[in-house]
Amino acid sequence: MRSRRSQLTVTVVAFVLGMLLVAQARSQTTDPGLAALSAQDLTVLIANLDTRNEQLRSEVSTLERELAELADADARGDSSVDAIREDLARVRAWAGLEPVSGGGVRLLIDGPIDGATAEYLLNELRNAGAEALAVGGIRVVPGVVVAGPAGALTVDGRALADPFEIEAIGAPEILTGSLTRIGGPIAQLAATNPDVLVSVSPVDQMGLPASDRDLVPANGRPTL
Amino acid sequence: MNLAVRLRSIPSWQVTLGIALLALGFLIAAQLASEGPRIRYTTQERPPLVETAEDLQARQEELKTRILELRAQISEREGRTTGSQELVRELDQALGTARVAAGLIPLAGTGLVVRLDDSPDPIAAGTSESDYLVSAADLRAVVEELWLVGAEAIAVNGERITTTTAIIDIGPSILVNSAYLAPPFQVTALGAQDLYDRLTSSEGYLDFVQARVATFGLQVSYAELEQVEIPAFAGTVSLRHAQVVGDGPAASAPAGGG
Repeated sequence: MRSRRSQLTVTVVAFVLGMLLVAQARSQTTDPGLAALSAQDLTVLIANLDTRNEQLRSEVSTLERELAELADADARGDSSVDAIREDLARVRAWAGLEPVSGGGVRLLIDGPIDGATAEYLLNELRNAGAEALAVGGIRVVPGVVVAGPAGALTVDGRALADPFEIEAIGAPEILTGSLTRIGGPIAQLAATNPDVLVSVSPVDQMGLPASDRDLVPANGRPTL
Repeated sequence: MNLAVRLRSIPSWQVTLGIALLALGFLIAAQLASEGPRIRYTTQERPPLVETAEDLQARQEELKTRILELRAQISEREGRTTGSQELVRELDQALGTARVAAGLIPLAGTGLVVRLDDSPDPIAAGTSESDYLVSAADLRAVVEELWLVGAEAIAVNGERITTTTAIIDIGPSILVNSAYLAPPFQVTALGAQDLYDRLTSSEGYLDFVQARVATFGLQVSYAELEQVEIPAFAGTVSLRHAQVVGDGPAASAPAGGG
């Protein structure tokens, strides 16, 4: 009797142990971050991943075409100087090393805004697909930060006037929609900083200057 | 009765049960610890959504790998194009420099890694759970402070920060470029050897530490390294709306845009 009871106890403990082992193993294999997302968050994540994968697919197509053109020129014995020049222009423009023009939006920011809030607006514009940005006429590239407390803003270390402009080249309607949507950045800004007035105007054509920063790292070496 | 005799007198099933209960205790503790501060949801619609998200992430990795492969092949072909030797050499050099400036080439050099993780602290009255999690705003603050103290290239969990990089919250998690990232977050910055000293003495960074680390217990740690590796940006550099003004750069365009 006693032996049967002890066997039963060991069996129950072994069963629970097995269940826990499986649960632990499963929780280790699933992405721990995904486990933290609600169904609604997962839906937003899926939409974002889908859009971005589409952009990556488009980039793959562009690069495949570029490679094919180079290979064709090579096979014909032609020079690829024009193709290289085009590639150079595109990379430099994207990096902020060349002036660019195009449609987009112009934001006028009037009032005491701090650096983090200005950067938040730039981040929103990037997320909405802005291809080139400038703050107070200074092209925003890696290393250029709008910083400082309200009333003493700087961009790339230079004083920024009040009011000042943020210019973004991209699809005007998408950029405008992203900023002015209900509960979006401008609505949030109006709620938290009622003294700041932000106006957004779609622009058909504008020009942004090249950056004057040296973007080649002095402390890094290419590993390719 | 000595100890050896006493031990021998314990029935074997009790020993087995004892060991099993010990393992059970460890597993329960491990399970609880792995729950972490972030919420877990168990609604029925989640499994297919998680599966779709995982599939999309896997597909994204393939696309990024393909982009890097194609860039390497293009670069290699461009390097051996025919034409005026002098012109081709100049163009090739300018293109190489432009790619480094754009973040399309991986880099290695001295630098700093700042590791950020969620707070282990209990949620205090009057605060919200999200205050105790690393947010996109936290990552942006650290990245901005690193730029301000002279970082020359930055990546977050392997995602290169470029001119078009957005860092946004998706629920309690974060999207950088096109990648979905979960904590802990490693912000790797390339820069001069005194980057750590500069960062930790910067007023803006100290404000961040006070507001997020001291107040809510976000975990932050640092590693000053002789060599950090910053990966290349594996995203889109195509311009759909922006055009280069004029005819673009001349073959002898100044390298690096300085």
